[in-house]
Amino acid sequence: MSRKYSEIHVKRQAIQDISFHGVTALFAFLVFALLFGIVLSLFQGSLPAIKTFGWHFLWSSDWDPVQEKFGALVPIIGTLVTSTIALLIGIPVSFGIAIFLTELSPRWLKRPLGTAIELLAGIPSIIYGIWGLFIFAPLFADHVEPWINDHLGVLPILGPLFQGPPMGIGILTAGIILAIMVIPFITAVMRDVFDVVPPMLKESAYGLGATTWEVVWNIVLPFTKNGVVGGIMLGLGRALGETMAVTFVIGNAHDLSASLLMPGNSISSALANEFNEAVGELYTASLIELCLILFLITIIVLSLAKLLLLRMQRAEGRSS
Amino acid sequence: MESSMNQTKLSIRDLNFYYGKFHALKNICLDIPEKKVTAFIGPSGCGKSTLLRVLNRMYDLYPKQTAQGQVLFDGNNILDRAQDLYQLRAKIGMVFQKPTPFPMSIYDNIAFGVKLYERLSRRKMDERVEWALKKSALWDEVKDKIHQSGQSLSGGQQQRLCIARGVAVRPEVLLLDEPCSALDPISTLKVEELINELKTEYTIIMVTHNMQQAARVSNYTAYMYLGELIEFDETNKIFTTPSKQATEDYITGKFG
Amino acid sequence: MLSLYQRRRIINALWLGISFLMMTFGLFWLIWILATLAFHSFDSLSLDLFTKMTPPPGSQGGLLNAIVGSLLMTSAGTLIGTPIGIFAGIYLAEYGQRGWLAPATRFMNDVLLSAPSIVIGLFVYMVVVLRMGHFSGWAGALALALLVIPVQVRTTENMLRLVPNTLREAAAALGAPRWKIITSVTLRASRAGIITGMLLAVARISGETAPLLFTALNNQWMSTNMNEPMANLPNMIFQFSMSPYQDWHTLAWAGALLITFSVLAINILARVVFRDKNPSY
Repeated sequence: MSRKYSEIHVKRQAIQDISFHGVTALFAFLVFALLFGIVLSLFQGSLPAIKTFGWHFLWSSDWDPVQEKFGALVPIIGTLVTSTIALLIGIPVSFGIAIFLTELSPRWLKRPLGTAIELLAGIPSIIYGIWGLFIFAPLFADHVEPWINDHLGVLPILGPLFQGPPMGIGILTAGIILAIMVIPFITAVMRDVFDVVPPMLKESAYGLGATTWEVVWNIVLPFTKNGVVGGIMLGLGRALGETMAVTFVIGNAHDLSASLLMPGNSISSALANEFNEAVGELYTASLIELCLILFLITIIVLSLAKLLLLRMQRAEGRSS
Repeated sequence: MESSMNQTKLSIRDLNFYYGKFHALKNICLDIPEKKVTAFIGPSGCGKSTLLRVLNRMYDLYPKQTAQGQVLFDGNNILDRAQDLYQLRAKIGMVFQKPTPFPMSIYDNIAFGVKLYERLSRRKMDERVEWALKKSALWDEVKDKIHQSGQSLSGGQQQRLCIARGVAVRPEVLLLDEPCSALDPISTLKVEELINELKTEYTIIMVTHNMQQAARVSNYTAYMYLGELIEFDETNKIFTTPSKQATEDYITGKFG
Repeated sequence: MLSLYQRRRIINALWLGISFLMMTFGLFWLIWILATLAFHSFDSLSLDLFTKMTPPPGSQGGLLNAIVGSLLMTSAGTLIGTPIGIFAGIYLAEYGQRGWLAPATRFMNDVLLSAPSIVIGLFVYMVVVLRMGHFSGWAGALALALLVIPVQVRTTENMLRLVPNTLREAAAALGAPRWKIITSVTLRASRAGIITGMLLAVARISGETAPLLFTALNNQWMSTNMNEPMANLPNMIFQFSMSPYQDWHTLAWAGALLITFSVLAINILARVVFRDKNPSY
């Protein structure tokens, strides 16, 4: 049999191979560089504000477009408080759902229920916004907030948090809607990490006569704790940056208030509401600096999440 | 050794192989005769599959795997850095433990390798596909569904499709890595018959953990243990009067 | 006095009951939101939605320009983002065993995947809108593309990793060069998964509002020129529902229903595609 491997053919193949590798590497590099590009351009855009206000920007609660005095304190606190509320509600709910889906649900229900929870993540945030503004907030104002005023508002120490006019719109409402939005994300991670617990481990505990709850609490949870915390951080990352849903219901007020029932502001909602109408270099630059702060916080939170999940994966690799 | 009576196709000289720091093959020297079936046997982890994967440099796909020494193929050292891997692999075909049909039609599975190195007309390609399928005794079973997915075939058929795919590029050497380990007895028989026919034209090297199979189909057998080549000789001799005690222990089942 | 065993049984039942309650709590919101949408927009659903432009306050109209703009920008964003994401994903899965680039990129990509979309919008505003001097459909499409990329990178890599190495080896054993193995064997084997990823990315961007705020802006009129500010459903909903006009509210609900059900439909479609054509290895 004669065989012709022409030199040209071989060379062409080598060139194709190298170019294909090169192209994929180039795009990978593009993705890699994107994050730095974003940080750099935001930094550049916020330079005027950084020069004018310096570190003072971080703890000043001024927000006066007329006199061009800006500070990030109110939106930063708004962002942190709404996200905290979201996690306080979201963590136990997600944990319960994940337990239900991995340990309790009958097999035939797992898939539809899992999908339903995932669909919660599929609903666009603007929908949460419009629903929150027109449906949830009025109901909340009429039926829940008076009750909060009467019962929680009279508590010692914590009381002031829950006093205020029942307007429906405010930090608490935003936090609750954020909670609904982060539930599917935290649940997804928890479910994934619960699923990787070696069946042998669980079976050994069941073999000793442990109840389902005891297995979950004493075996599954310790085994997956890094993954669980990673999932929570991931949810936090989502909550911090969520824009539209919060913008609709937070009230957009640059005031610092002790009450969770009062309107406030978050970084992302300040951006969404004001950026297109901002006039003057300093105003724009201050908003961009807010965005930079938000991005840096989320990068840190998401990096932590990622590290914890990686550690969980590695531990799992060792034990299997 | 008897093998000197035959033409040598692959000559392995002082081969050492490492997975990272693990020394997997130790000073292997072996001459593989042309147009014969050579079997590598030995207990799991003895390095027989590793040796096979050195011969077409499959290990190159993975980081941290290194080979030292020489493997002469028609006089060229294929471990040389300058060796063109793609050409080498086109000349030395391989069939794996589990069937690996590509996610495409039966026809395209076979045409895939051919198209890499030859430009054939539609008619010539049809002929080649038919030839390869006949060679691997699959033609009669699939000729009516040649454009269906290769994954629709049974396990035994898939494995013969993979052999056909390897044969279609007309290699000089065929490496078979436990080709029957995932097959039922009837498919195994078919594949063994196929190996018997193919050896008139190809140099075949197979790894097997099944000693009866080695005895049935191979002309030469190499017994390996812990990364070393213990004994290499004609299959008859290995299975009747091995010269090393270790080989005899393994053959007679005192070990492994 | 309860025996220890009884107490354990009760604690178990209690917690499992709570877990069940949490499950219903989660489902409750989904059902409430979907039911509200269906209820509120049932009246406003008419052919006008798809044939008429957005009206000035106080008059009748539809959402045609917003629908067209959303379709245009979503498609453009997907077309730009998908190939970039696929190529980068190929790099991570196929060439990623050596060197620093792959692990670093994987890390950055995971951060980008959950990064606030409003940041992406502002970034595109800085690098495109400011330079061009005006808002445009292209800027919007680019912002959406930047959201598509991480989703596509992640799914492409995961799906390629599901392809067993033996398949790559089998192709390599025939003398196929690396690029050929990737394009005609591994990519093919993971086709269904990659399409799923693309659908999920489309689902994600078609409801995105924040990244379009500073890029495409909005447009009361019909425009198919990607160089001009462009109408889009999410921003139309934002603008209309924040307004005091009843007609606009009705239209906003209709738009919300349109978006939600297309997004959920794409989500479900993606799952079906993936389940039916899972790689069989």
